[in-house]
Amino acid sequence: MTTAVERPPLVRSSDRMIAGVCSGLADHLGWPVKFVRLGMVLACFAGGAGVAFYAWLWTMVPTADESAKRNARRPASPIAPAVSLPPLPAGGATAARPQQTYDAGPAPAAFSGPAVAGAAGGGSVAAGTTGPAAAVAEDVPNPPGSWWDGNPLGSWFSFRKIQYGKEILLGAALLLVAAILIARQFGVDVPLGTLIPAAAILGGAAIAWMQLDETRRAGLVDKTKADQAGGWVRLAAGLALVVAGVLVMVSGSGSWEQTWLALLASVAVLGGVALVLLPWGLKFWKDLETERAGRVRETERAEIAAHLHDSVLQTLALIQRRAGSEQDVVRLARAQERELRAWLFSDPAKETGLLAERIKSIAAEVEDSHGNAVEVVTVGDTEMTERHEALVQAAREAMLNAARHGGGTVSVYLESTEGNTEIFIKDRGPGFVLDAVPDDRLGVKESIIGRMKRHGGTAVINSSSDGTEVRLALPSAPSDAGEQRKGETLVSEARSSEARASETRSSETRASETRNGEMKQ
Amino acid sequence: MTINPDGGPGRSVRVVIVDDHTIFRSGLKADLDARMDVVGEAGTVEQAIAVIAETRPEVVLLDVHLPGGLGGGGREVIAGSSALLGTTSFLALSVSDAAEDVVSVIRAGARGYVTKTISGKEISDAVIRVADGDAVFSPRLAGFVLDAFGTAPADIADDELDKLSARELEVMRLIARGYSYKEVAKELFISIKTVETHVSAVLRKLQLSSRHELTKWAAERRLL
Repeated sequence: MTTAVERPPLVRSSDRMIAGVCSGLADHLGWPVKFVRLGMVLACFAGGAGVAFYAWLWTMVPTADESAKRNARRPASPIAPAVSLPPLPAGGATAARPQQTYDAGPAPAAFSGPAVAGAAGGGSVAAGTTGPAAAVAEDVPNPPGSWWDGNPLGSWFSFRKIQYGKEILLGAALLLVAAILIARQFGVDVPLGTLIPAAAILGGAAIAWMQLDETRRAGLVDKTKADQAGGWVRLAAGLALVVAGVLVMVSGSGSWEQTWLALLASVAVLGGVALVLLPWGLKFWKDLETERAGRVRETERAEIAAHLHDSVLQTLALIQRRAGSEQDVVRLARAQERELRAWLFSDPAKETGLLAERIKSIAAEVEDSHGNAVEVVTVGDTEMTERHEALVQAAREAMLNAARHGGGTVSVYLESTEGNTEIFIKDRGPGFVLDAVPDDRLGVKESIIGRMKRHGGTAVINSSSDGTEVRLALPSAPSDAGEQRKGETLVSEARSSEARASETRSSETRASETRNGEMKQ
Repeated sequence: MTINPDGGPGRSVRVVIVDDHTIFRSGLKADLDARMDVVGEAGTVEQAIAVIAETRPEVVLLDVHLPGGLGGGGREVIAGSSALLGTTSFLALSVSDAAEDVVSVIRAGARGYVTKTISGKEISDAVIRVADGDAVFSPRLAGFVLDAFGTAPADIADDELDKLSARELEVMRLIARGYSYKEVAKELFISIKTVETHVSAVLRKLQLSSRHELTKWAAERRLL
């Protein structure tokens, strides 16, 4: 505590014995955890000071998670304040805040700053037990404005302009308690009978008001269950304190019997009040929930609407304009159907760069350019390699031919197994005789048959008057075995490296692909 | 019962169309040729079950996605009409190509599955085929079957329900490639009746196989 260097914020660590207080404190102070723990244990024997200190830190210091959450929460949503306290005079605190533009009341703005103050503040309070100066020395880049800002209590005490008002207040209270205790030691008569109940009432009220702050902030920014639970505990504790305090004060420290009776009566009254207020509370809660759900639905709807507008509506407009051309209409409808289907069913996490995906996109391309439906059925899948790219190009040529000459629907079937990849492209056109194709027409002979042969595959064209089917087969060369998605064995790996060595033409790219394949597995 | 394929004087097939889109129903009705007699229509699960029970059609053209009921769509209609499964056949129709939808409706008892983009002639043929007790496989359904059962033929030791025989695989492959039953028969030098027998056997396996992978597989492949 001698240097003012940047310290890690005081948070309860997840590396914990009980509640992570000691390790958090050690982190913050830069001391070894062992010493901190030992000190804490020793302090426990000093009249239980250690226990009190520990409990204090436990309650006041947030865990690392909470702290992060609070900090993240700081840029509050602009639609935040649905409930607000009567607006307070903005005062000096407002001037320091840049994000005043949203919302009218200064009350919500008061929370833009203090999230950090709340998190780090807990820490400084703890340090504050050794002396308030330490708390102030805490180097938190924080706009002026204390936790009590949005809080009526704060304005009563005019603490609003003082940084770390909460900490100072608590420190002052503690000092007061200490002073009273010391005074009693010296025999001064302190009217404890009045002071304790009064303190209880004040404390209870403070806790309850803090609760209001918290729920408002949490409720409107993001409502987590943990906050709720904490809130309820705080409310109950505050209520209990106030009720007990009032009782003791009123009954003038009378007999216990009386106190119990009064307690019973007051609980009954409270119950009655709760009974009356509950419907309002519930209604308010429900409204809030409904509104939230509505907002989520609205967002979703807006996204879907935007998508439909960009796709389906545009296509429908185009279809109306091209209503005369049946082919255009069919093409547009097919393309739109494909797009919508992909949007509805596709899984963004799905791997891309696989053969089936490639074939489908090629089919879509052919469909778009020629207007024939291309139905693709795939069984199995495999990684794309250079050789598969050749297969895809040959298949593309075959699909184009089928669409151009065959007319009608083109059926494409891809079957990929461990040893072999086959693609069948079938149309129902009039067919053709391969030998009758002039030599200068390179489509079939070069782009399909020649290409497949060069890459170690085969292409068979079967044409009759009922239609034409192009069968492309590409055996998985040993070098590809490692890339097959399903088949991976050590043997095939060993063989693949042999084959790689023997293959000189494109050994470098092949090798890198194989490595990729290995990595994937 | 065999129907005169030329739509001659033979008895026509009684058909019920179940689809929640009126436009699609009327379009389909117009598409079906003279061999069919549409005796009823329904737009929801409840209506469908009622109409089917009342009219007792030979074939129900059933959309996979239907409003009403418990949200089960076509599956629920088949389950609700299970008492009639002996006399009434269901042909599933869908815009959805999702494996989950297709496989679940087939496993519920449908005799076949076709996509809604199918032509009028094809759908009429499919209805006749289903009315004759055969199964109707679209290329996509054949693809699903191959994907789900694997492309390796069954060993003799295997549970016969979990694998396809070599011949069944051949037939499925050809159908996936876009071959009609007639073309399959020609290609494999067998009769159309034999092709139909194979396809029915595959359908039976698809419906009865207890392979847990089948359901898992379908769920995984939500997309197609």
